Amino acid sequence: MSAFGSYLRTVMDLGRDEARQDGSDTVEAQHLLLAITAGPDEVPRQVLAAAGLDHQTVMDALDREFEHSLAAAGASAAAFNLPRASTSLKRPHLGASAKLAVERGFTGQKDPQPADLLLGILRAQAGPVPRALDLAGVDQDDLAQRTLLARASQDR
Amino acid sequence: MVAYMPGVEVPVSPDPADALASVVALRRLADRIEDAAVEQAMRAGWNWPQVAEALGVTRQAVHKKHAKRLIAAGVALRRR
Repeated sequence: MSAFGSYLRTVMDLGRDEARQDGSDTVEAQHLLLAITAGPDEVPRQVLAAAGLDHQTVMDALDREFEHSLAAAGASAAAFNLPRASTSLKRPHLGASAKLAVERGFTGQKDPQPADLLLGILRAQAGPVPRALDLAGVDQDDLAQRTLLARASQDR
Repeated sequence: MVAYMPGVEVPVSPDPADALASVVALRRLADRIEDAAVEQAMRAGWNWPQVAEALGVTRQAVHKKHAKRLIAAGVALRRR
């Protein structure tokens, strides 16, 4: 398997773990973003770290987005004091936002790189990831631009 | 459109982005609550027909969705 194939497989496996921890039957873009922060390639990890984003800060930003979006409908997760459910054993399948990220990142790429998955995620204009980044004060377009630059320097 | 909390009226945000995001978040919260509440009920000795009736779904549907997870978690399940 190519180095890229091995990277993608690892990140997808990590994304499935993130989805399971989240109690989700599907792997979504936010699970892939979390997977990238823990993934084996330094380029996308460093781009994110330079913007102050590691696994914990992305998780915090996503939690904040969740509460913020619930609050828009007058609800709060904190209001429900149930014990946490046991984790599902099902293998989460790729959800709509993750499929879009893959499509946006890799369509037309002859030489796919790990940074392309991050680029695909950052090209979303709606959904939990852009909202979480916005709430965390991260400029998504600037982050995408920096990812492109890092990818280009990796090619050299 | 208005969502209700005890004693408080909160109009859903007029911003479509916020309103749509709240739908996603509410579905996720509902799924979390369902997982936790079904587990709690089965640990407390409820059976599948009771849980299904409380959720307004078929017994088959609730069993298919939750049985494997609860068996793996060591919950003693009552069929009837």
